Amino acid sequence: MTLHQMLLQVPDLALPFAPTQSQIVLAVVLPLLGAFLMQPLARVSRTLALALGPIVLAASAYLLIALSLEYGGAPFVVAIGGYAPPLGVVFYVDRLALLFATAVPLFTLLFWWRAEPDAAGSTDSARRDAVMLLLAAAATGLALSGDLFNIYVFYELTAVASFGLVALRATGAAYIATVRYLLLSALGSVLALVGIAIVYLLTGTLNLAQIAQLAPGTLANPAGLAAFALLLVGFGVKAELFPVNTWVPEVYATAPARISALLAGLISKLAVLVVLRLVVLAFDGTGAQTLLLALGTLGVLTGELAAWRAQDFPRMLAYSSVGQLGVVFIALSLPGYTGVFAALAVALHHVVVKSALFGLATRWNGSLEALAGAARTAPRASILFVLFALSLIGVPPLPGFWAKLLVLVGLAQLGTQAALTALAVILLATAVEANYLFRVAVRLFQRASDGAPAPPRPGRFDVAVASLLGLVLLGATVTIDPLSTWLGGIAAQTTDVDATIATVFPTPIAQTP
Amino acid sequence: MAYLTFETILYAGAIGLIALGSLGLVLSRHLFRLVLALAIAEAGANLLLVLTGYRGGAVAPILGVHQPGTTMVDPIPQVLVLTAIVIGVGVQALAVSVLLKIYRAYGTLDLRVLREHLELDLAKAAGIRAPGSQEAPAGERPLPPPIPAVAKAAKESAP
Amino acid sequence: MRNIASLLFAAGLGFLLLVIAGQLGFGEPSMLIGGDILSAAPDEVGAANIVTAVLLGYRGIDTLGELSILFAAATAAGLVLAGGRGAAASHLSDAPAGFILRTGADLLFPLLLGVGFYIILHGHLTPGGGFQGGVILAAAFFVLVLARPAGGMSHTAIAVIEGLAGAGFIALGLWSLLADGDFLKPMLGKGVLGELLSAGTLPLLSLAVGLKVGAELAGLMTQLSEQPPPELTGQPLAGQSPEHTAGPETQD
Repeated sequence: MTLHQMLLQVPDLALPFAPTQSQIVLAVVLPLLGAFLMQPLARVSRTLALALGPIVLAASAYLLIALSLEYGGAPFVVAIGGYAPPLGVVFYVDRLALLFATAVPLFTLLFWWRAEPDAAGSTDSARRDAVMLLLAAAATGLALSGDLFNIYVFYELTAVASFGLVALRATGAAYIATVRYLLLSALGSVLALVGIAIVYLLTGTLNLAQIAQLAPGTLANPAGLAAFALLLVGFGVKAELFPVNTWVPEVYATAPARISALLAGLISKLAVLVVLRLVVLAFDGTGAQTLLLALGTLGVLTGELAAWRAQDFPRMLAYSSVGQLGVVFIALSLPGYTGVFAALAVALHHVVVKSALFGLATRWNGSLEALAGAARTAPRASILFVLFALSLIGVPPLPGFWAKLLVLVGLAQLGTQAALTALAVILLATAVEANYLFRVAVRLFQRASDGAPAPPRPGRFDVAVASLLGLVLLGATVTIDPLSTWLGGIAAQTTDVDATIATVFPTPIAQTP
Repeated sequence: MAYLTFETILYAGAIGLIALGSLGLVLSRHLFRLVLALAIAEAGANLLLVLTGYRGGAVAPILGVHQPGTTMVDPIPQVLVLTAIVIGVGVQALAVSVLLKIYRAYGTLDLRVLREHLELDLAKAAGIRAPGSQEAPAGERPLPPPIPAVAKAAKESAP
Repeated sequence: MRNIASLLFAAGLGFLLLVIAGQLGFGEPSMLIGGDILSAAPDEVGAANIVTAVLLGYRGIDTLGELSILFAAATAAGLVLAGGRGAAASHLSDAPAGFILRTGADLLFPLLLGVGFYIILHGHLTPGGGFQGGVILAAAFFVLVLARPAGGMSHTAIAVIEGLAGAGFIALGLWSLLADGDFLKPMLGKGVLGELLSAGTLPLLSLAVGLKVGAELAGLMTQLSEQPPPELTGQPLAGQSPEHTAGPETQD
């Protein structure tokens, strides 16, 4: 019996008792424990080791859902180790954090390994499961943490775990893609560390809420802007920010498709969440906004144009993902509530759509020409592809339309020359997107020529996952009004910096030593 | 120069290491040199971070060694750097392992050559024509007809 | 062209950092939380080494994350090194090293173990701690592997020590979660400042960290030493990358 199975029988944690607030740490710690115990357990009982991962992730998901139901209204703070902030590390849990934290174990479970159709090279399933659990733990920690260096540590854990996972296919190409990703990510970490050093020097603290309190006085200068630029480029590697996104097409083409789905769908949004927290709490000046707008626009341009020229399905999806995340960064550059609302809408929409598309790409991993006539052998998958494509382009009434509309309206309201340029770029990108996505859709539905080899068909489970996500998308289409109210509430809570500071520091603290 | 203090030299050194490492990372072609440049850049960043806690004339934050009441340096950057060093070691070890596998697969660690191999492999796996492939050097355009004089000279020179 | 762009990037980066450095007040840190920790740590944590007090007390979860990163790197390296091959390669063809290295290794091994454990256990009193001591423990095994390449540690032992040490660290934290309501709160009382058995569970946490780091790095070394040396002719080995054939190397 493993330790956490014993703990589940302790009355405090047993079902159906609701967990206490400080037990939210278990959502991060239980997957870590599972990862540490995976290899010794595998030597004792293989079946138990295969089941350990899903059990731990299910427990973590249950914990987070129970906490959201119980405490989901007002944000709360968990001081790790009982040390009051700002000396100790805190988890700041508001609705946005709970949303992303709950999504992590659910999506990891959705893309967990079953029978291995694409793991041609992996011989050691215990190690692979351990690394997946570490990725899940780190992603949960990223969503919940309220301390700058703690975020850096969890971000690095996400990175190292993903290095191990993208090399799983054990082909030479996978190794080259892994090493280029590794080196680029490590350069980003160096820059982020320099940024953290500058922030610490300027403010004297690492607690995000305290940094928010001190930011107007200490970070509103060129040094603060430089720190933001360094942090943005550092954390932006995973968020596929221009110019540190050269790793994206190679990695998504050589990694197993489920890993690409996780990375492109979920982990990149967690990196965006980190940037969002920094922008809202500490760096909301015009310099930061200009930087975000510029890099986002360049990302949209390069991503969509490269997707237009791509000749194989995974890389087309990869470049399209770069373009969509560029739109997210443009949305983040809009000041205040509109920016966060628009960014969240685009990001959440992208999580659903891209994960499903990469799931389909497990079998549709060849050239676009090979997909000709796939609608005959895989009708459901082809219809789902058309649905997701329409939502990506932004055809009403699908959620993608509303998300993009929020960004465009925000840019139009801003009215500056840069904002209007970005608006034109997004419209141009939409046209390009429509072109290449419809090209694929037409090819899917065309009659296959007689001598051509049969097009591949996605596996049943991938189609099931895509159908589930498609249902989510359609459900969002129908309930778009209450959904946008809910999302707006989250955005409003996130941008309320004074409430954040008041939650973390109920008694005001000294601002100077 | 009044401002060329001890601290300034240390800071310039740390920043110089970071710049040197970053330069190496973007310029080098050999993968192992890239890993070494990364190590240098990380060392520079760690040095910069630990220097942020420096206080002139202060001692290490260990109790019971000095007189109570002496100013101590800031302990937080030291903790951060401990963590950062360990992270760097882990990443470098993983990088070297991947380098080993690359060398066994391709026999070279030259990044330019490897990038071409990567493009060829990706194209072959997907079944598309690689950019600038050897089989169709002019893309899909037909090659121009041979100039008669040049063809005759080639035929006469070849045995 | 690319080189010029890269040079400009690095020069710009260096210039930017120097300008920032010129504007910031170095040597006079604001000491906002630093100062508070210096004054609060002896009472709250009870360790004489304030850096360890912060590492394992105030920022314990960062240390847990750092342990996990090292674990992830070692596991990922294991995945990479073992990937694509069937059975593990045999390295028994490596001859042991010469007499001096073998004898020296046998003498150094217990010494390094002793120094490693000393540094781990005194981490809360003097500079040192789990990571530093753990690396020395790993060095003890490195020396053994250098002397007798065929005699690396067994993978099972490494995996078990690694897993149980990490689980031990988390178990200590979970114990405080169950008993006191906060994860990773130091338990067991503070004791007398400066004694070996002071600062509550900090020495136990250091021990867990040290064993885990030592086992991980020793495992990495064993895996690397088990790799057969790459062919020096530069030709790719058969079966490594089936879809790629050795093309003509481009001349630079």
